[in-house]
Amino acid sequence: MKKISVILIVTAACLSGLPAQASPEVDKLLQKYQQQGAAVAVPEQGKNLWYSKNGDRGCINCHGSTPADTGRHVRTNKAIKPMAASVNPERYQDSKKVEKWFLRNCKWTLGRLCTAQEKANTLDWLNSL
Amino acid sequence: MENKKALVFGSVLLSGILTFSLYGIGSSIASDDSKHEHDREYEYRDKGTNYSTKSVGTNKLYMEECGSCHMAYPAQLLPTQSWQKVMLGLEDHFGENAELDAESHNSIESYLVQSAARRKGESRKLLRNLGNKTPLRITELPYFIYEHDEIPCRFITGNDKVSSLSQCSACHQNAEKGRFDEDDVVIPGIGRWDD
Repeated sequence: MKKISVILIVTAACLSGLPAQASPEVDKLLQKYQQQGAAVAVPEQGKNLWYSKNGDRGCINCHGSTPADTGRHVRTNKAIKPMAASVNPERYQDSKKVEKWFLRNCKWTLGRLCTAQEKANTLDWLNSL
Repeated sequence: MENKKALVFGSVLLSGILTFSLYGIGSSIASDDSKHEHDREYEYRDKGTNYSTKSVGTNKLYMEECGSCHMAYPAQLLPTQSWQKVMLGLEDHFGENAELDAESHNSIESYLVQSAARRKGESRKLLRNLGNKTPLRITELPYFIYEHDEIPCRFITGNDKVSSLSQCSACHQNAEKGRFDEDDVVIPGIGRWDD
């Protein structure tokens, strides 16, 4: 019995040490961003960008302050599914879609395109949640 | 023996009656349906059978691309020239960025143009008194204004659960299906609307 408990604890410890989600599409995008000049993603910086404000605009206007929760479009009131990969892994299954939303939302929020580094950081952070 | 005959006869008679009554119920449901369809002042529905498979696919794309931020408004609610103008300005779509890649853009535009309000058919009312104007919003159509002008502001802009006339589905229970009959209207916190 004791042996089983030890095995369970060791297994749980190993699992918790793994990156939260292994998604081939995310890996593909992160590689692409590196090819475009980004260094290794820094999730902490992605988090900073997420909570930063450009005037009155920021990611949290629509996505809410907790990426694991459902957001609400600030203008149309439509529900926006969670961004945290652990809650809504479907978000990160199609790289074309990820790029589409980076394009639209960076332009709206920051008034410019996001750099490859910013995209890598943010994607890596959301994928780790 | 006599009893058995009577039993067989009875069974045949009973099944006959049942068949006829079921047929009767069925046809009365059908006729109620068609009467109800006829009663509807107007109704916007995709005439799926008239569209090619390609258009149906495009329709799905429209639902996905446009419906992710707001209700995918039925294409029949705006005239062709309005949809073309909307599609020209997606980078600043009522203050939002709604850019599309070229392929999706063309595909969605052709679906919208093909399904837009027409001078003939159910959607003709929407073009009433429009003249040569090209409204960008369904809520700017004279016919739309006429249909909604008796509703007090407190039911719409003053109502947290509605907030704007753009939120069709807040009150029109079947708006997503393209149906806007008065029978389907339930104003949140107020109830049914009957003018």
